[in-house]
This record gives sequence, C-alpha cells and structure tokens, in this order.
Amino acid sequence: MANYFNTLSLREKLNQLGVCDFMDSAEFLDGVNALKGKKLVIVGCGAQGLNQGLNLRDSGLDVSYTLRKEAIEGKRDSWKNATENNFKVGTYEELIPTADVVINLTPDKQHTAVVNAIMPLMKEGATLSYSHGFNIVEEGTQIRKDLTVIMVAPKCPGSEVRAEYVRGFGVPTLIAVHPENDPQGKGLAQAKAYCVGTGGHKAGVLKSSFVAEVKSDLMGEQTILCGLLQTGSILSFDKMVEKGIDKGYASKLVQYGVEVITEALKQGGITAMMDRLSNPAKIKAFEISEELKDIMRPLFQKHQDDIMSGEFSRIMMEDWANGDKNLLAWRAETGETAFEKTPAGDVKIGEQEYFDNYTLMVAFVRAGVELAFETMVQAGIKPESAYYESLHETPLIANTIARKKLFEMNRVISDTAEYGCYLFDQACKPLLADFMKKVDTDLVGKNFNEGKDGAVDNKTLIAVNHAIRNHEVEIIGAELRKAMTAMKTIKTA
Amino acid sequence: MKKPVVHITNFNLKFKDKSVLKDLCWTINSGENWLLSGESGNGKTSLAKAIANLIPSYGTIELNLNPLNNLVDGVHYVANWYQFKDLEGQANFYYQQRYHKQAATTTNSVSSELKHFGQQNSLEQDTLNPIVEALGFKSLLSATLIELSSGEHKKLQLIKALWLKPKLLILDLPYNGLDAASRKNLNLLLDQLVEDGAQLILISNEAEMPSSINRFARIEDGKLVASAAMQYVNNLTKIEKPLPAFFQEKQWSSTKSHLVKMIDVNVSYGNKKVLKNINWEVKAGEKWALQGPNGSGKSTLLSLICADHPQAFANNFYLFGNLRGSGESIWEIKERIGLISPELHWYFDPTATVWQSIVSGFYDSSGLFCDPGYTKRVQADELIHFFGLDDYKNTLMNQLPLGKQRLALLGRTIIKNPELLILDEPCQGLDQQQTFHFNKLIDELSKNGTTLIYVGHFESQLPDCIEKRIVLENGEVQVIENISNKNYVTRSEQSLCI
Repeated sequence: MANYFNTLSLREKLNQLGVCDFMDSAEFLDGVNALKGKKLVIVGCGAQGLNQGLNLRDSGLDVSYTLRKEAIEGKRDSWKNATENNFKVGTYEELIPTADVVINLTPDKQHTAVVNAIMPLMKEGATLSYSHGFNIVEEGTQIRKDLTVIMVAPKCPGSEVRAEYVRGFGVPTLIAVHPENDPQGKGLAQAKAYCVGTGGHKAGVLKSSFVAEVKSDLMGEQTILCGLLQTGSILSFDKMVEKGIDKGYASKLVQYGVEVITEALKQGGITAMMDRLSNPAKIKAFEISEELKDIMRPLFQKHQDDIMSGEFSRIMMEDWANGDKNLLAWRAETGETAFEKTPAGDVKIGEQEYFDNYTLMVAFVRAGVELAFETMVQAGIKPESAYYESLHETPLIANTIARKKLFEMNRVISDTAEYGCYLFDQACKPLLADFMKKVDTDLVGKNFNEGKDGAVDNKTLIAVNHAIRNHEVEIIGAELRKAMTAMKTIKTA
Repeated sequence: MKKPVVHITNFNLKFKDKSVLKDLCWTINSGENWLLSGESGNGKTSLAKAIANLIPSYGTIELNLNPLNNLVDGVHYVANWYQFKDLEGQANFYYQQRYHKQAATTTNSVSSELKHFGQQNSLEQDTLNPIVEALGFKSLLSATLIELSSGEHKKLQLIKALWLKPKLLILDLPYNGLDAASRKNLNLLLDQLVEDGAQLILISNEAEMPSSINRFARIEDGKLVASAAMQYVNNLTKIEKPLPAFFQEKQWSSTKSHLVKMIDVNVSYGNKKVLKNINWEVKAGEKWALQGPNGSGKSTLLSLICADHPQAFANNFYLFGNLRGSGESIWEIKERIGLISPELHWYFDPTATVWQSIVSGFYDSSGLFCDPGYTKRVQADELIHFFGLDDYKNTLMNQLPLGKQRLALLGRTIIKNPELLILDEPCQGLDQQQTFHFNKLIDELSKNGTTLIYVGHFESQLPDCIEKRIVLENGEVQVIENISNKNYVTRSEQSLCI
C-alpha cells in the first residue's frame, strides 16, 4: 500500500492540509439525529472505546461492541468492560454485518489487521469511523468505495471524555471526512452527530482532514509533547544530581513540576505560564528559551520534513516489521535512566516553588511549544490544528508524567508517539550538551530569585512581554480556549 | 492545679471582610467531652481544624494531652468531608463513576487501605474487627474505594479514627449519612474510647450523642457560649419571605400517570446483588419517602431513576412513560428531575461560583457552560435572595462552609421547578433552622403538583407532605405503604429513625 499523502498532487496536498474550520455551535443544532436509530458497533473496548460508547448510549444511540473471538472467549478486560456495563458484545461475524456505523477504536498498530478483517463484512453503504488517520494516510489503506470514512477524535484521554460528559460538558474534538470515501455525502452530518453524542460539541469542534490530523499529530507528539518533555526531564534531573541537589527532591521536582507548570499553560497559554515567574526569572527564561529555539530548530524541521515525506512512517513501519527492535531497546533505556530509578522524595514542594525552582522547564516548554507550532505552520498546517497538537496537549502528557514518570508515560501513549518520542530524544540530547554545561542550580533546583533584588529594566521587560503575548500561538490560543474554559483542572501534585 | 487539656485564647477567624470568630476563648479540662453545636457557617469547622493543627491559627492554642494514658499521642480530626486517591495518587473521580465498571482496578481496596493505615500507625489488626462489625462494614472490606457511597466513605473515616484511638478525637458532623443502627453503635464505640482515656469534641446538631458527652457549647456572635445541656432551637421560626413568584408559573397536573415504573428490576455486580426484583410505581403528584439502612440499595435505586446507572439498560423499567433504553438521552430525563444527593454535592464543580451553581440547575450540569439569558438570570437572583445567599453570590463553592454550599445546591435543585424532585438527604450539613425552612419550602413547592422522592435517615427531618413510603432492606422491598399525616406526626415526635 502506498502512502496516501504522497499519491496526491501538490495542489491537493495543500488543499487537504489546509482543511481547518473551528465550528460554530449552531452547526450542531440537529443533535444526534443523523445517527438516531442506526446501529453503532464499536471495535475494541479499551479506555476510548468504553467511555465513548457510554456517552453515545446515554445520548440515546444504539451501541454495541465487537471484539475478536479470542478476547470474548478469554473473557479479557475489553470483554469485561463491555459486558459489565450491559452492552451487547459479539464477534466480527455476528455484529459487523448489521452495523450502519463501525467505530474503530483499537490501537493504531492493529488498524491494518482490523480493517482487513471487518471491511469484507461491512454492509453496503455503511460508515467506518476512525479516531486517528495513520492507517488511511501513512499506511495508505484503501477503503471499499461504497463505504463512508469519517474521523472523530476527542482530544483527551478516555476517562475525561466520560467525566466531562457526565457533568454536562465535553472535550474538544476533531472531526474529518475522508474525501476519497464520501459517496453519499453523509459523512459530515454523521461525524457531527457523533460529536454531539460524546458531548464534544460543547467544548469546541475543529473540522480537519485525515491528512492534516496525521501530519500535525505526529509532529506534536514526537517533538514538544513527548520528546522534549522527556529530554528536558532527564537533563534537568541529571543536572541537579551533578550539582549536589538532593536526589529525592530533584526527582519530585521533575516528576510533578512539568504538570504544575503546564497547568498554567493550559489555562492561559505561554503568557500565563511565564507570568507565574518573577520579572527577572521571566526575562531569563525568555532568553534561554530563545537560545533553545535556535539550537533545536533544525531538529524540529527535520522531524517535520520526515513526517511530510513519509520517511518517518516508513522507518517506523520497518521497525514494526522487525519485531519492534529499536522501540524495545529505547524503551528499556528509558527504564534505566537515573530519574526513572529515583523515587520522588517525601518533601513538600509548594505550587509556586515549582515555578521558582524549575525555571529551566518553563523555558523548555515555551521553546518547544513555539517551535512545534511555528514549524507546523511553516509546513502548511493551519494554526488551529497546530495549536491542538502542540500547546493544547502538553498538559495532558505532563499529567501522565506526574502519574507515571517517563517509562510508563511512553507505554500508555500510542506506538507511533512512543517511537517518535525516542527518535527525538536520542537526537536532542547531544544537541543540548553544550547548552546544559552552562546551566546551574539557579535555573533548576534552587529558587532563581534568591539573592537577587528583583530589579529589571523597563524596556527589556516590555519587549519580552510583547514577544511572548503576540506570538501566533497565543493569539489563536486565546480564541480556542474561550470554548473550553469550563474544563476541569487536572492535578496530581 | 492541672493544666487544661486544650486552652484557646483570643482565637480569631475572618471570612472575607466578615469576622466569624472574635477573640474566642475555650478551656477544655481533663475528663471533659464537648458537644459543639450551632448554626452552619459560624466557624465550628475552622476552629476544630485549628485545634488539630490542620490550618494556621490566629490566636493561641495550647495543648496538654494526658501523657499518662497509652493512647496515640495527638489530635485526630474526622472531617465532615472526605477525600480519597487512586493508585496513581490522583483524585480525579467523577460523578457516578462508581457505577461504571472498568476491568482494570484503579483504586485500593478497603481492606488494603485499612492495612496500610494500620501499618503506618502501628495498630493491631485484631482491634479492628469489632469496630468493622459494629459499623456494619464487613461486607465492604473487599470493595474498592471508588465503589463506596458517600455514607460508606464517612464510615471508613470513623473506623480509622476509632481504631487509631487518639488522645483527643474531634468529629465533625459524624452522623451525616449514617443509619440509626450505625449511629447507635458509633456512640457506644465512642463511649468505650472515652473509658480508655480519650477525650471527645463532637460537632453536631443532632439529638443523639454518646453518653460520655458532659459539656455543651454553641458559638454565638463569634464567641463560645457554654451551656448546661444541648440547646434545641425550640421556636423554629416560619419562613417570612414568600417563595419567588416564578415558582407558581408552572403547575404539574396529577394525572396519576406513572413517572417511574419498575418491573422486577435487578442490579448486580458479579455475584453481589444490590437490588432484587424491585417492583415500584411512582405516580404523578405522589410524595414518597425512601427509607432503609446504609447499604440497602437506596442510592442505586435513585441512580436508576436519575439515568446515572448503566444497568438501567438491562432492566424492564419505565421513566416518564418510556421504556429505558428506547432511544431517549439521559439529558431528556434529567431535564424533568431536580436532584440533590450527597454524591452530587461531593462531585460538584468546586470552582463554580454560588450564582453559577444555582443557574446550572436549569441545565443539569455541574458548573455553568453557557449564557442563561435574562429571564433565568433574574430568577436565579430572586432565589439567591430567598436563600439568603446574596453576600456569597460570586464566591467560589470551595471557599464556603459545607452548609452554605449545600444551600446553594438546594437552590440549584429546585430552580427549574421540576416535575420530579429527588431529595437524597438534602439537609446534610444544615442546622435545625435551615432544615426546618427547607422542609417547609418543599411542602410549599409540592402544592404545584410536584412528585417527590425523599431520603432522610432522621425521620424527624421529613417534610409534612410525605404520604407514602417504600422501605428497602438488603436490596429488597420491605414495605410499601401509605403513611397518614397524623401517624407521621406522632412518629416524628418520637424521632423514630430508620
């Protein structure tokens, strides 16, 4: 199968990359009607599968689950999830032929196998729904021409999809219709109805395309989201230990710091995150993040280029075929880092202390978010899409690091994210070696403001604030966040 | 002379600009066990937390706990609220999550939670069992924390405190959500603790208390006023303010059509049956009391009616005339119901303001996600005034004492003047006067033809309009009967408790 994106003309590439429409709530007035009375069959019952299914059923839709025979016979977790919540469960042969909409919520890596198994069973004119476009775009899977292919991707973990729905809200969601598979022109109406069914329409819906979703999603996850947070965490920890900071303290600061710092990011963008620092610390963080951006820019560009050309997915699929040789080796390496092996100390770190003593991470986050956003936009991805895949998701990964540290964080994210994360981390560490030599404990481990009088130059501060606040990610972010202000804060620390 | 055990001088507490406690002084001598009562929001909880050194104190608090007895040194405070975390240290749980089954366990089991607590405090396992038995907790040991109801979480906290045996034990509204038998046994266990040398401070407005309580106090005008006995508010004043006029705009006709009809309804988790063959009809306009001991299935029954329980889809059960699972959305059901329950309160958005919380009742959401428009704004303001919450209108819920939060949520419950009111222990955390007022308000509202299902562990706290009751035990219907108003009055005077 050929990479779908690479089969397109440049005009069509740009056309599909540019699909980006932040939808008005008035577009959802038809509610779930387009799916009312239709048979929805979800493939897979993990966190996304179960929680989306609970929401869809509670919205009055007819939901059942289909699982592989082995999962049913072995009474695996997915079978338990579905049956214990009183859903009908059946094999592919039993349920797929009856389905009006088949919702594929299995892990990315299984998509080719799953789609090959279900496609022949699907009835004429039915709809196939994805939550990630990798299979269509990168693997180039061809779907039967009579079938409609849509994507509905809630931009949150499954448990939150449910929690927000139950409280009468929803999570931001991305939807798309595959232009090659919309024979009846019903794709968009069904995707919108699906969105209403999961509550997503209340928190902001972005109409995108399979192509834009894949190319931006891959870029975000491997650079700022997982890659840079991993690199920054490991380098910060090692620096503190090198400089004699207590290991337990260092471990706790790194594990929870990124979550506390990015909570401010989530609520008020880079501006709010930087504003949590004192004026001198803000100026310092600005300066080193500018330096970091210069150092890392070529690496971010390489990642984006490889994603666009299909090179990234080619080598990753090679590794899949090779029994995940690289992935498993890198995973093991992550498990062996000193940070991973040092438990968080039993010390209390106040919320503000996470900012004051971890200025370096604030700089990493600003540099990474802005770079990822800029690089995506330069490559033809629209700012709204770029925002979701950079700034918006950073606090979610940070929360996972707070809960699980790096090794487990990598295991819960998708296989593509994990592979890309290691790829980035391997290349980024040597790139930052010289920079890290200059870093001392005032930036990581100790309070930056200690022994300083807090004085700053007016002009410098004004220029720095101006640069932070007028970055495009801040302008578009303020707009998009308006739609989701009501979302609950996630917190561990 | 012996030094007092607790000596508080010039304790001050402010809420915003208002002084709540002013130069309060309190001396607790050896052998004294205090009951602290009084209206909600007057600083009792803050005072208790300060004694337990959980919040900074603005005044002097001197502790001289008896060094001679061999109880655990220090003060242990059992909060009127509870908190638990999952295995990853997070507390991001959501409303009714406990009814959704996930194969992977995310929270500790009760038994390992207790084991951990015992190890932390070097407690002996065999002293735990009698406490667990007395509070009827044995069957819950294998449950996970997420599966517990709010009343069961409350009990777990009490079990820990009783097992710990601290020198000074402070209990803040310990009877909330506890059935009569558990309350009685709790009091016996507390008396036992006192015999072993502990001292008690009990914050409560209930008539029931351990017999070892020998000192009584109220907080009045920011000061502690000691009295010889529990002071009951004898002259509960009638509500003078009229109910906002918009409540009269909608009248529900008593067509005697059924709003709820359950036919052999069953709910079970694995082998554990929580509801067994329930047959129950609630007709339009009827006023029901739902009763039964802790763990009898009341909350589960109500969760089916409120469209919060997934097993509704596996049962033969009609809501508002429609078979459940025939294409209706839960929001269409919730629209017709006004609900308050301990769990709704516990999971409610703590960062919403009082005003937002009340308005969210129009939309059945936890927190407000849209602009309500002019009419609803005005109605909300009227109701806020009616509840006396004007000063707190823009205050975040998590900054308010429990009683005030509860008042705001009661406003949320009734604001849309719903067809069906489900009040599950609505008056938890309220004082006697507030409870009296609220029940009068329900009597008034029910004249609109509203259908009512009311759960209250204290039968003395039911509104007068109740005319029928259903009693559950072990998940089965024990009794369905009419209760005449006259009978009801005599019973409430005896304070017969279920």
